Amino acid sequence: MTQSLLPTEHVVLNMGPQHPGIQGPLRLQLTLEGEVIVGCQPIIGYLHRGIEKIGEGLTYPQFIPYTDRLDWLSSASSNLAFVQAVEKLMGLEVPERARHLRVMLLELNRIASHLAFVANFANSLGATSAARYALRELIEDLFEMWTGARVTQSWIRIGGVAADLPEGFQECARQVCYLILQRLDEYERLLGGNRIFRARTEGIGILPPEVGVDHGCSGPTLRGSGVPFDVRRAEPYEVYDRLDFEIVTERSCDCLGRHQVRMEEMRQSLRIIEQCLDQMPEGEARASVPRTLRPPEGEAYGRVESPRGELGCYVVSDGGAQPVRVRIRAPSCYNLAALPRMVRGWKIGDVVAILGSIDIALGEVDR
Amino acid sequence: MLAALQARFGEAIEAAEQVGRELRLRVVPTSLVAVCRFCKAKGFSYPADITAVDTGRELRVVHRLVSLKANQQIVISVAVRRSGGSLPSLCGVYAGAEWPEREIYDLFGVRFEGHPDLRRILLTDDWQGHPLLKQST
Repeated sequence: MTQSLLPTEHVVLNMGPQHPGIQGPLRLQLTLEGEVIVGCQPIIGYLHRGIEKIGEGLTYPQFIPYTDRLDWLSSASSNLAFVQAVEKLMGLEVPERARHLRVMLLELNRIASHLAFVANFANSLGATSAARYALRELIEDLFEMWTGARVTQSWIRIGGVAADLPEGFQECARQVCYLILQRLDEYERLLGGNRIFRARTEGIGILPPEVGVDHGCSGPTLRGSGVPFDVRRAEPYEVYDRLDFEIVTERSCDCLGRHQVRMEEMRQSLRIIEQCLDQMPEGEARASVPRTLRPPEGEAYGRVESPRGELGCYVVSDGGAQPVRVRIRAPSCYNLAALPRMVRGWKIGDVVAILGSIDIALGEVDR
Repeated sequence: MLAALQARFGEAIEAAEQVGRELRLRVVPTSLVAVCRFCKAKGFSYPADITAVDTGRELRVVHRLVSLKANQQIVISVAVRRSGGSLPSLCGVYAGAEWPEREIYDLFGVRFEGHPDLRRILLTDDWQGHPLLKQST
């Protein structure tokens, strides 16, 4: 009786731009009916640095360090997307050894990124111990040993990589890979077997496969909905066509499925790294490239499977030393645009779980 | 695919070129939505990217549509006037067109007719000008 006399209205709640459950500055404007979300509007741009515009004022090699700042959890992928586009424009052949080195660096980056995901995702669900378990530091030690930098490596260059492996690196890499493989099972028991973790993720934040494709989603976000799309298989670059690995998919379309895809992907990445270490031929780590690069007039689209999905780089050249246009097709941006559809109907508490499960990098969303 | 497109749209396809997996087309603005709808029905259901390029001579909007099954790409370029130009929006065809079109409006000033929510996305609402146009610097 009293209930029907009380007026009900929607409440608008701002989450962010600074929020402990969000890795970077992002604002979500939620429209609520009680605790249930009826509308969600992501507001982005807090980290916009105009990287695409900056690119038009730099020479081609000068732009590579800027790509590190797009997705800093996996800088090698962003390096390669740009470098691949330039190499396509120039018709440049990359030495066989350099291709293996690139794949190794990319897959190490993928594991490092997914480990950071596990730590952040579990942390945002209340499992604070996960961050202490995650082994990203060990991989960053490897990065430091090889490239001198732990995060922003800028190691993939036009024509190859900046330099070959240092002495003793291969043994260290094998040790780290072995250690991570052991620990992945432990993470799975800790999280996958945890009732609270499952209750917070299972059946939550459904993304139907056709909706994901229609929004341009990719990576583990789309594969968690059962669509076996992976650029490494669709348009193999470097030596991926000669490596043995599986494209991991889950049919559950929920947060747990996206989490499980990443867990299994790390195992596949470890397999790839091992194959690279075993099969890597001797040779040059970098082709000889002219000091001043002037790619012929034209356009090219570099396409890489980053830990977040299809990372594209569309470069247009007019034959000069600076690109006319550098466009970054960021997977996080497209995945985030599908978030409103995924959170509708769920409760406020589920937003961090759903947002965490699509694992965006705000650096590449805002560019 | 090219033959099917040319049979269906004729003169509306101004130029076509196959480069590797990419079929590059130039399409007249008035046929853009119909061409994209046709492509989507033929399996090009994944909007990989929508962006714009200002070469200094011309401004064009570039749509990259991908068929995940056939593993092919169609890249559709449409020329647009540099100041105050507009194009029909693809939001009715691809849900993923909404943010990229807002971004093109924000950075290049192209208006998309029929877009449900055409506001700036990366820059603040009170920003003056469109920074990725060539004459803006």
